[in-house]
Amino acid sequence: MSAIVGSAPYIYVCTRFRVRRMKLIPQEEYLRMLQMSLPEIIRLIQETEYKREIDELSHSFHGIDLIEVALSWNLAKTYQKVLAIMPEGLREMTESYLRRWDIQNVLSILRGKAQGLPPGKIKEVLIPAGELNRDYLDKIITCAEPEKVLESLKRWRLFPVLARELPRAAESGSFSSLENELYKQFYHDILEETGAGIKGGKEFLEFLRLEIDIRNLQTLFRLRVNGAKGEVVTFFIPGGTFTVEELVRLHEVSSPDAFFDSLTAQLKSRELVSLLGRFRQKNGLAPGTLHEIESALTLMQYSRLEMMARFHPFSIWPILAYIERKKQEITNLRAITRGKQAGLPMEQIRNYLVM
Amino acid sequence: MALRDVKPTRSELINLKRKIKLSERGYNILKMKRDGLILEFFKVLDEARTTRGALEEKYGKAVGMIALSNTIEGTLALKSAALSVKEIPTIQLKSKNIMGVVVPEISSSKVKKGLLERGYGLLGTTSVMDETATSYEDLVEAIIRSAEIETTMKKLLDEIESTKRRVNALEFKVIPELTEARDFIKMRLDEMEREELFRLKKIKARTKG
Repeated sequence: MSAIVGSAPYIYVCTRFRVRRMKLIPQEEYLRMLQMSLPEIIRLIQETEYKREIDELSHSFHGIDLIEVALSWNLAKTYQKVLAIMPEGLREMTESYLRRWDIQNVLSILRGKAQGLPPGKIKEVLIPAGELNRDYLDKIITCAEPEKVLESLKRWRLFPVLARELPRAAESGSFSSLENELYKQFYHDILEETGAGIKGGKEFLEFLRLEIDIRNLQTLFRLRVNGAKGEVVTFFIPGGTFTVEELVRLHEVSSPDAFFDSLTAQLKSRELVSLLGRFRQKNGLAPGTLHEIESALTLMQYSRLEMMARFHPFSIWPILAYIERKKQEITNLRAITRGKQAGLPMEQIRNYLVM
Repeated sequence: MALRDVKPTRSELINLKRKIKLSERGYNILKMKRDGLILEFFKVLDEARTTRGALEEKYGKAVGMIALSNTIEGTLALKSAALSVKEIPTIQLKSKNIMGVVVPEISSSKVKKGLLERGYGLLGTTSVMDETATSYEDLVEAIIRSAEIETTMKKLLDEIESTKRRVNALEFKVIPELTEARDFIKMRLDEMEREELFRLKKIKARTKG
C-alpha cells in the first residue's frame, strides 16, 4: 500500500466527511420517529436523501420491503462515493475495510446459484457496498453455475480462499466453512495492511483487535449456548488479544461460573469486563439473551470508534467513523420501520437503535 | 321392511330369528366399539390439546423471532443466510391401528439441526439468526406432531360418528323392524294354526253327523 505524504490529503478528506456526517439523521430525529406511526415514518424517510432510491425501486418493491431495499441501495451508493473521493493509499485501506460487504455478496450469489435461484431473486439480496460494484455483481449473477462465478472472481483479493474452499463446499453442500474462512482471511488481510503509512493506523490496529475479540467472544458464546461439540478451532479468528488456543480452552470449560471467571481474568478491556459482569449478574448465557449481549458489544465497539475519531480528527478514524455512522443510520431506520411493522414495543425498538 | 312383503312361513320365522340374534350381537359389539373409541378419543383429545397449545406457543415465538431478526439484521441478511440451507426436512408416513381405525404415524428427520449443521457460517451471522432458526425448527416439529395427533383425532371422530350411526340404526330401525316382522309371522302362524284346528274340528263334526 502506498503511504500518504503530508497532512493535506487527510485534512481534505476528513473535512469532506465531517460535512457529510452533519447530513446524517441526528439522534433526536430517531426518538421523534419512535413516537410516529408507520406511514408517518415512511413519509419522513421519503422526504430525505433516500427519495431517489425509493422512486427508482418503487416499481419492483412495495411497503417496508421497498424502504429496506432503498436504504441498502443508498448505503451501497454512499460507500461507492466514499471510495471515489478517497486519495490513493487511504482508498486501498477503505476498500479492505469494506470487503466484508463483498464477502456477503459473493456468498449470497454462490448460495443462490447452489439453490438454483434466478438472477433476479439473487440480485434482490445483494448490497454492493464494497469493492465489487453493482455492474460487476450483475455480471457475476448471470453465470449459470458456482464454478463460473469462481472464474469471474479471479481478480478478487479473496479469490485464493474461494478457490480452495468452494470445491469442498460444493461437495458437502454447506457454505459455512467457506464463509468462516473468507472472514478469517478478511481480518488477516486488513491486519496486515493496517499500521505503517497511515495516520491513526496504530490505534486502528488496536481497534481491529478489539473487533476480532468481540467477534470471537460472540462466537464463543454462541457455541456454548448451542452446546456445540467437537472441532471448534476453525470458528475463531486469529489476530485478537486472545489466541485461538485460549478461546478453545475457554470453550471447553464446563461450569458457567468457571467460564466467566477465566474469561474476565483474561480480558484486557475494562469495558468488556464490566459489560460481561452486568450480563452475568442478570441472566448469564441464555439463548434468549445472547442477542442482547451482542448488541451491547457492538454498541461498545461503536462508542470506541467515535471516541477515536474525536481524538484523531485528521486520520483514518473520521473516515471509518463516517462509514460506520452511515451503516448505523440504515440499521436504525430499518429497525424502526421493521419494528413498528411487527408491532414491537417502542422501548424494545429503542434498545436496538445504535445512538 | 313393510309387513305386507313378509311371507308368514315357518322358515321365514327361523330366518328372522337368526337375523335378530345376529343384529343383537352386532349391536352389542358396535356399542362396545363406540364406547372404546370414545375412550381412545378422550385420550387423544388431551394430547391434542397439549400439542395445539405448544404449537400456538411456538408459532407465537417464531413470529416474534422473525420480527426481531428483521428488525436487528434486516430481511436481506436473513434471506441471504436462509439460502444456505441445503437439507430440506423430510417426513416419513406410517400407519397404525386403533380399534380398527387406521391412523397416521408421522416421523420426521432433518428438522432440528445443530448450530454447525445449518449451512451458514458463524463469522458472518449473529445469534439472533440462530434463535430464529431454532424457533422455526421447533415450530416445524410441533406442526408435524400436531398433524399426527389431530389427524388421529379426526379419524377417530369420523369412526365414532359412523359407529354411532350403525348402533342407532340397529337399535331403532333394524332390530325393531325384524322383531315386528317376527311377531307378525308368529301371529299369522298362530292364526293359521287356529284356522286349521277349527277346520279339522268342523270336518270331524260333519263326518260324525
